[in-house]
Amino acid sequence: MVLEFKEIEKSFGDLKVLKRVSFSAQSGKAFGLLGRNGAGKTTSIRIMMNVFSQDGGEVLIDGQKIDYHKVKFGYLPEERGLYPKKKISEQLIYFAELNGLSYKEAVDSVNYWLERLGMSEYKNKRLDSLSKGNQQKIQLITALAHNPDIVILDEPFSGLDPVNAMLLKDVVKEVIANNKIVIFSSHQMNYIEEFCDSIAILNGGQIAICGDLYDIKRNYPRNKLVVRSVDSDKIQAECGLACEKGEAQGEIIIMLPDAADKKAIMQKLTEKYDIDEIKIFEPSLNDIFVEHAGKQI
Amino acid sequence: MRQFKTIFKYEFKNYLTNKVFVGVTLALIILLGGITFIPRLIGSDDADSTVNIADMPVMLVSCNTVEAGNLDSDIVKTIFAETFKDYNIVVTEENVEAIKEKITSKQAECAFVLDSYTSYTYYVDNLSLYDTNAETARQVFQNMYRMNAMITEGISPEAAQSIMSAQIEYETQSLGKDQVQNFFYTYIMIFALYMVILLYGQMVASSVASEKSSRAMELLVTSAKPTSMMFGKVLSSCLAGLLQLAAIFGTVIVCFNINKTYWDSDGIMAAFFNIPTELLIYMLVFFVLGFLVYAFLYGATGSVVSKLEDLNTAVMPVTLLFIVGFMIVMMTMSSGNTDTLLLKVASYVPFTSPMAMFTRIAMSRVAAYEIAISIAILAVSVVLVGVIAAKIYRMGVLLYGKRPSIGTIISTLRKEKTRR
Repeated sequence: MVLEFKEIEKSFGDLKVLKRVSFSAQSGKAFGLLGRNGAGKTTSIRIMMNVFSQDGGEVLIDGQKIDYHKVKFGYLPEERGLYPKKKISEQLIYFAELNGLSYKEAVDSVNYWLERLGMSEYKNKRLDSLSKGNQQKIQLITALAHNPDIVILDEPFSGLDPVNAMLLKDVVKEVIANNKIVIFSSHQMNYIEEFCDSIAILNGGQIAICGDLYDIKRNYPRNKLVVRSVDSDKIQAECGLACEKGEAQGEIIIMLPDAADKKAIMQKLTEKYDIDEIKIFEPSLNDIFVEHAGKQI
Repeated sequence: MRQFKTIFKYEFKNYLTNKVFVGVTLALIILLGGITFIPRLIGSDDADSTVNIADMPVMLVSCNTVEAGNLDSDIVKTIFAETFKDYNIVVTEENVEAIKEKITSKQAECAFVLDSYTSYTYYVDNLSLYDTNAETARQVFQNMYRMNAMITEGISPEAAQSIMSAQIEYETQSLGKDQVQNFFYTYIMIFALYMVILLYGQMVASSVASEKSSRAMELLVTSAKPTSMMFGKVLSSCLAGLLQLAAIFGTVIVCFNINKTYWDSDGIMAAFFNIPTELLIYMLVFFVLGFLVYAFLYGATGSVVSKLEDLNTAVMPVTLLFIVGFMIVMMTMSSGNTDTLLLKVASYVPFTSPMAMFTRIAMSRVAAYEIAISIAILAVSVVLVGVIAAKIYRMGVLLYGKRPSIGTIISTLRKEKTRR
């Protein structure tokens, strides 16, 4: 299944929030929707889920106009919130039923997910008696319990401790493996980099860059080498090329005058020095993000 | 439809498990049920204790200034004692100053001083709002004067007595509506509508507003259609309201029937419990439709505020609209003429018609087609207001921060419409 956002436009009053935004996400893969605050991510998500109607453009599924009766969405909003005074199982079942499950299916599914996320003991507690991280896990269940086709996770890792983050990672991997479309929106680039095959960076309501993350990275000039070695100082002094210190200890970045020389230089360095690691420098997602979203349009 | 059912069920259950809702209902049941037992309790009290005449407040009667001067003090005392059963009647020959002195020093509660056969003065320390003694005494003195006159004219005291005590019987047959009787249930229905709409309207509004402030809305709007949401919420509150009223009035009716014999003398209560079925059905129809129109308005209002604190000011226009309708009806009702143009117009306007048309049906003659038109307008309005409310809800729930003005809401709704 392919979800396609085609030339979507949206204004609130005189303010143009989205300007011909296009991207696509595939099932069995995760898609990262990035952008600074106010770039139009949440508006895009709301249009995707038919909460707002767009002023122009189309949302397509496999090339056809999306049928909201058939395609089920699961949504973890950035602004978390359920009924604080209500029993947890009660509201989870309610939301699952609202999303199309029968009462029995809802009960089974909610029980499965509570168990899966280690939350069964809180089943009959009120939501506001839980810690923030645990409330987040409960909220995640509302996004997953009805077995949606498209799962939208807005900042899913914020507020989770490393153990819970690991648990969520496993769950997300499982959802991707189940051939769902997973759309991530986050400012934690390491998670996006870990999960997402393709990304779109929004800036000022426009797509700044969009596509396969691997391809995006490959498209950067490959004229820098990252070298990690105990001899890094020696290399820097002797290699006769422009160098700068890397981020990690013992890491230097060597600028190549010509990208074609990389193989020969790598070979020379590995023969001559005690090298722990040597690779072509690729920008991190963080670098790409800062480059494309740094200046607000 | 399934979503609507889920929402309806969930919201309805919320009412039934809401401690305040259950508490208020039980308290009202106990209070109003208890009131029906009052005559029974008071009645038994009266039988047990007779107040000693010496403990009753003293009423002085002075006849010594009367020109004719030959009133028998025993007769005066008997006549007064018969009329003023709660007083210890003392016939006195003291002068006015002494009588006044006795009243101000609390030795006597009040006094009648006859200036002549046809004029008297009533003296009392503090004239209470409910003191009708002076008026009551007028009849007594009038009878005394007439009796006396007849006797002087040569009619025997017995004949005079029988002339004076002749009873005229009468009966009233209302060919239209009995306003006196219908006044009470119209009044009670209007009042119940007033209470329930304000109470439940606020409940619907705050339910929406709290979902918005807890951000549960973010998830709700993506999970359910706004129309399902709005109709589910409002109809469940309507059912909860009806159930509450049924429980309260049901208990009162049962309790009243238990205590019926003690209430027999009270025409108002008896009239209230003898509502004609036809009127009861109209009451139900207008009640439900009126409730729905306002609950939708309240729900929509709840969705445009971001914080619960702002809710009270935001619902003000809706409340005012309702109070205007309430005032029109109340003022017309108390004027006694329910056929005014104002009330006629109000009985077709959907926001005032539930109260206005019901009042007209109960207290005046209204053609069946007029009722049908009014109900039809109201029913169509319920659906329209419901759909518009759902649209405002959809738009309002995701706008945080500044509350949108009515102008913004209308222009956004228009845009939505032209797009479709």
